[in-house]
Amino acid sequence: MAFGPRNSLISSQSLPGSDLALWEILSVVTSCLIVEWVVLSFVGRNKLIGSVPVLLAVGLMIYSHRERGESLQDIGFRLDNFIAACRLLLLPTALVVVSLLAVAWFSHSLFVAPWRQRFVLLPLWALFQQYVLNGFMNRRAELALGKGPKSIVLVAAVFSVLHFPNPLLAALTFGAGLIWAAVYQRQPNLFALAISHALCSVTLALTISPKLLNSLRVGFKFFG
Amino acid sequence: MNTSSTRLVHILIGKSIVETLMVGTLAVVAFATVLPPSFHGWGEVAHAGISGWAVNDAAPFERVEVQLFVDGEFVAAAVADKYRPDVAEAGWAQDAWHGYTFNVASVPGRHEARIYALHDSGGGLRKSLQLLGAPITFAVDTQGKVSALRLR
Repeated sequence: MAFGPRNSLISSQSLPGSDLALWEILSVVTSCLIVEWVVLSFVGRNKLIGSVPVLLAVGLMIYSHRERGESLQDIGFRLDNFIAACRLLLLPTALVVVSLLAVAWFSHSLFVAPWRQRFVLLPLWALFQQYVLNGFMNRRAELALGKGPKSIVLVAAVFSVLHFPNPLLAALTFGAGLIWAAVYQRQPNLFALAISHALCSVTLALTISPKLLNSLRVGFKFFG
Repeated sequence: MNTSSTRLVHILIGKSIVETLMVGTLAVVAFATVLPPSFHGWGEVAHAGISGWAVNDAAPFERVEVQLFVDGEFVAAAVADKYRPDVAEAGWAQDAWHGYTFNVASVPGRHEARIYALHDSGGGLRKSLQLLGAPITFAVDTQGKVSALRLR
């Protein structure tokens, strides 16, 4: 299913490609930061107000895909390269999970945090995050900076910034962001990335002390 | 010419405007909620220490909780519910029960006191302090007697 290619911006002569792509990234990041920092600090967990920047960002991303003629397949909602993407992710994901378990085992913090019902929804949340991070931002970073280290570092840096001011989480997401962005550029498959993301997140939540991670809080909520 | 890139630019500008308006509105509403301009009051050095009055125009018959800070340190809290007919007569309050008095037992020397009104918002989630009147400078002598000082 395509978003309805009207004009392929990638091939359009009138495209100020890199500037526009960077602006799109900045705009989506701004929406995320508004939710994390402004809405939470001013009105608490008011879902109605919090949904405004989220809907604006999602609307922008969908419109951008449509204008650039990107299909769901292009974005990474596909199964044909699922196994290939899983192969690429297997080793780094296993390394992260085993490392976290080992650290937890030797520091006696294994399963210090209780299992939470919301972990069941984590794959869906991970899929949404991977769509924003790679399905949208990575593709725009590629347009702006080309495939390779520059765009990968940009995506990882953005992912890290969205986890500020939680220092440990910001560092971990920068590392994970590098891996996921690099894998996406080779095999764009969001389902495989979401599985890797969910596995790493659950392991992190169950192995690292909530005190150290401040219960995975980010943005203004970090201080509350 | 309305190319797809200009349409996207328009969308980006529109989104920025909406978000700017939203953040601005939230900031103003939050400021007015957390620090409402409805608190009035005054404090001065009196015989026993520092006394004054506090009124919340938004709830004129409620008693305002006030806090005393001396040299930036919290000293005491009280409810402004003492009899002050002069405040009502001057038109600042609708009844005469908005006074407060703090005993000041500071070490000898020059000090600065500030009286704040304590305000709850967000269903008790947030508490804010608003300065009532001007900071009060006073001196305490070796006998513990408090006297007002004038700011130069």
